[in-house]
Amino acid sequence: MSLAFDILLAFGIVFTAAAALRARDRVATVAGFVVTGLLVALSFVRLGAPDVALAEAAIGAGLTGALLLRSARRLKQVENRMSPPVHRFFAALIASAFAGAIAWAVYTASGTAVYPALVSERLAESGVTNPVTAVLLNFRVWDTLLEIVVLFAALVLVRIVAPAFPQPSVLGQLMLPFARIIVPMCAFIAGHLLWQGASVPGGAFQAGAMLAGGLLVLLLGGFALPTPRLLTWGTMIAFAGLAVFTLAALGTEALTGTLLLYPDGAEKVWIIAIESALTLSIAAMLCLLFCGTPRRAMK
Amino acid sequence: MTSELIYICAGSSLVGLALYQLATDGDMLLRVLSLNVLAIGIAVLIFASARNAGVTDPVPQAFVLTGIVVLVGVTAALLALAERIDEQDNE
Repeated sequence: MSLAFDILLAFGIVFTAAAALRARDRVATVAGFVVTGLLVALSFVRLGAPDVALAEAAIGAGLTGALLLRSARRLKQVENRMSPPVHRFFAALIASAFAGAIAWAVYTASGTAVYPALVSERLAESGVTNPVTAVLLNFRVWDTLLEIVVLFAALVLVRIVAPAFPQPSVLGQLMLPFARIIVPMCAFIAGHLLWQGASVPGGAFQAGAMLAGGLLVLLLGGFALPTPRLLTWGTMIAFAGLAVFTLAALGTEALTGTLLLYPDGAEKVWIIAIESALTLSIAAMLCLLFCGTPRRAMK
Repeated sequence: MTSELIYICAGSSLVGLALYQLATDGDMLLRVLSLNVLAIGIAVLIFASARNAGVTDPVPQAFVLTGIVVLVGVTAALLALAERIDEQDNE
């Protein structure tokens, strides 16, 4: 039964991805991509990675879909965009050879996994019981700090390049009741995801993406005007998360002598403090990546 | 093991599709989208190989989560650049 489900799901993923890439209409392309993302999130659940499934559904499918849809109408479509047939034939040949080789390599790769044993051995010392959160915010927290730096660098680049702010058309009467339900729900679910991330799937990234979704409803529904002042505040909040994280890293260095080694017994407090700051900051960053900048927002 | 094999096939098909599109398509939106499909395919492959006795290794999970967040930053940056290039072509 579950095997049939896996086959159907895998077929659905490849089919929707191919349909998205082949579609002539751009909105259809983006819609196909979002469906692929959601099906892939489902396959992550089947493969035992619910934390990543939440992130893929919220960020990979939802926010990336919104970004692509924003640009779909702004970027002009190239006529005769496909390469000549000979070129395409060899591209298809090489791409399928590569895909086959990669499948074979992954299938035949052997070796024992060393991390699961190490993680479960030290999980009790990490301050949380969800192994993925333990890896992200304790064992390999340095990676997470740099990840926020990368996101911030992307935000700086978007501010420099300055894409125009999306001009939402006037929406119907149902927008207000919709926002009244969906925005508080987003905030509520974000808080829930943040708190439960310590023990079950969830965490700062999923919560931040959820909150960003709620904020986008407010901005695109016309309930909050993107004034330069508001966007400057958003940038401040985005930076605050990075600042709190960096200060926490320096604080641990001062307290324990090792960068990002939390003091004994207080791990959970440190993790919750960092995650809360990150949630707000990630929500602001994702929102600003979508919106663009104050400079040209009100032109 | 069979369900892992199914997802290995799906993941590598996504990688193949994305590579073909990246090599042949001149449209900037489709290129950015292909990059996303490539990343999704690699994530599926990682999870299909990270399973051991019904448990998925938490370290690759953290890597893929990091990858998803970095990818949305990259996508936003690339689309902003693409829009700017288009504007300049129009002027």
